[in-house]
Parts: sequence; structure tokens; C-alpha cells
Amino acid sequence: MNVVYDLITDGLFAAIAGMGFGAISDPPLKAFPSIGILAALGHALRYALMNYAGIDIASASFCAALLIGFVSLLLGERLRCPMTVLYIPALLPMIPGMYAYRAVFSLIMFMQNIDSPALSGEYMAALQLNATVTVTVIFSLAVGATLPIFLFKERAYSMTREKPRNRK
Amino acid sequence: MKTEEQLQETLDFIGEYAGTLLGSGVHTSRVVRNTKRIGRSQNITVHITTFQRTAILTVSDPDTHRTLTEVIDIPQRPISFELNSNLSALSWRAADRHMPLSDIREEYSRLVAKPKINPLFVLLMASLANASFCRLFGGDLCAVCIVFSATLVGFSLKQELQKKGLNHYIVFILSAFMASLCASSALIFNADADIAIATSVLFLIPGVPLINGVIDIVEGHILLGLSRIINALLLVICIAIGLSVTLLLVKNSLL
Repeated sequence: MNVVYDLITDGLFAAIAGMGFGAISDPPLKAFPSIGILAALGHALRYALMNYAGIDIASASFCAALLIGFVSLLLGERLRCPMTVLYIPALLPMIPGMYAYRAVFSLIMFMQNIDSPALSGEYMAALQLNATVTVTVIFSLAVGATLPIFLFKERAYSMTREKPRNRK
Repeated sequence: MKTEEQLQETLDFIGEYAGTLLGSGVHTSRVVRNTKRIGRSQNITVHITTFQRTAILTVSDPDTHRTLTEVIDIPQRPISFELNSNLSALSWRAADRHMPLSDIREEYSRLVAKPKINPLFVLLMASLANASFCRLFGGDLCAVCIVFSATLVGFSLKQELQKKGLNHYIVFILSAFMASLCASSALIFNADADIAIATSVLFLIPGVPLINGVIDIVEGHILLGLSRIINALLLVICIAIGLSVTLLLVKNSLL
């Protein structure tokens, strides 16, 4: 029961985060619900993979982004909205903010301790670790969500076209 | 068959259309496809070379083999998914219904003039988003509230400074500093200060150019993709600078 509760709250907060970050980039109003659904699905999947299946954060992010990409293909067709409009905001809640923050923090502490080999070495290691995770996760996110575009080129490229019965 | 004037008129419109798309955060291959589609609806072929600040367009009339080339400046516009979506749909409508150029232009002007989402609504949404982000990272309720207010301050500062037309690197540094400084008040309230400070600046992350850059690179528009990524990285560095100033001020309490 706890598992279900955790997944639902995780998805809910991710949905708010996705829609909120989406709002910054001026999306069409009709896209908001879909952005929320995509963000919730993706983040909940990543949460499940990391916490229950023991998968690392980069692979889990890749799988979640792949799911977001495929579902945005279906939703985009229904809304006649380019896929990127739906999936870019939905990916944002998965940006590894804590790792990015720790990377900056380690860099600062490294600079403050360059005279002490032990401390500076420690902070340098922390900087490398956190920066590597941040870059890898962001790359996995972008590539994972873009893959469906290449697999279904025709459909992805004609997303905003009117359905044949509506054309004059 | 088109006269010289008609061809020039079409080129002018297509240049404006492509510039608007490129300026409002649409990835390159979509701009190229949309532009060629508009050209097809007018029975001309379009070729386009894109850079970060300018683009080169060539249109030719297959009947007369007359060719015109133009270099356009890409206007700096705010990112707009709505324009991306609507202008793409316009290109399909133009091609499917063989719309005359005057109709396309009229509809284009209407779509571009459409008002943006209310900035107050955006401010509220962004703050809510950042607050939920804090919750996702495991922040407690107090930290969530602090991040909400810190984002309110940071984001409204960003909106105000952008309205004044200040250099956007400086806008990013100042907003990141302001937001993280407000978030560092979590130290006083004994909340999860590191989580609060870390999430308070995330509303600034340039997600759209970052992901567009990756898309461009894997689709073969490597040069423009790299420019987009470098642009985004510069903004990320600005966020880090703003954050660093706060961290330097409070680092001893965070250890």
C-alpha cells in the first residue's frame, strides 16, 4: 500500500513541477494536462526503477524519458501539437538538481581548500562524481525522449497536420 | 509561374516565418521542414542554411528557374511553444489547402500577435513547480514553503529585469543569487537548507535550448546544435555563479 502511495505522490509532485516549468515556455493551454500526465508517468517510473528495482539513476532516467517520448507521440497526435512541446517540460522534473548543486558546492569548497591536499582531493572527487552524474543523466533524458521521433519519423513529422476527414 | 515581384514577396514572407520559428526555440529540422512546406504550397522550392544569429534562404521557381537568395537576421524572441505548435499547423494547412500567400500572411500575423500567458500566472506556476521539485528531492514542508517564496522573489526579479532589457547573463546571475539567498533563510528555520538552496535556482535551467541542442546534433545539424548547447551552458554557468555567491556567504553553516 505504501508503494502505491509513494508512487502517486511522486507522480503528483512531478506533474505540478512539469506543468509549472512548462508555463515558463508559453505552451498552448490545451497542452497542460498532457504535460502533467507525461511528467507524472516518467518521474514515477524512474522512482520505481531506482527504489524497487535498484537500477542506477542514468539508466532509470533513460527508460523514463523513453516512456515520455512514446506517450507524447500518442498525445501529440491527439492534440495536434509537436512532440517536443509536450516532452521538454515533462523531462524537466527529472533534471538532477541535487547533483548539480553538489557539483557547484564541491567546486567552491575545493577552491577554498587548495592548500590542504587531503580536503582538496576529497572535494575534487566529489566534484567529478556529481558533475559526471549530472551530465550523464541530462544526456540520457534528451536522447531517450528523442528516440521515438526517429523510430516513427512519418508520424512524428506530421503531428500538427489536420486529419484527412477535416481537410477541405 | 511567378513574376520577379511575386517571388520576392514569397521570399520575404518565408524569411520572416523562418526567423520567427528559429527565434522562438524551435529545433532546426522542424524549421526546415515547415519552411519547405510553405514553399511547396506556393509551388516554389526553398533551401535554408541556419546559424545561431542569421539564416540564408534561397527560393527558386521550378518553371522559370529563377532564383533569389536572402540573408535574414534571427530575432531574439522569448521561447514560445504555442507559436511552435501553431505555426507548424499553419504550414500544413497552407500545403493541404493550397492557401494563397496573402491568406497565409494574414493568419501568420494573427498567430504572432496572439497574447502570451499572463506573467502573474507564469510566476505562480513556476513557484509551485519549484516547490514541488523541492518535495521530490525530499525536502520537508518548511523547505518547500521557503523554496516557493524564494522562487517568487527570484522569478519576479527575472521578469522585471528582462522587461528592462538587461543583458540576460546578468539577469541569470542576479536571479540565481537572489533566489538562493532567500532560500538560505532555511538555515534560520532549521529546515533542509541544502535541498532548499539547490532547488531554488532550478526554475532558471534552460531546458529548451539544452534539449533542442541534443536533438539538432543527432539529426545532423551539428553546428547549430552545438551553438544551442554552448548558449545553454553559458546560462548554466551564470546560474552557478549566482549560486556560488550565496554559498560563499553561508558555506560555514552548511558544512
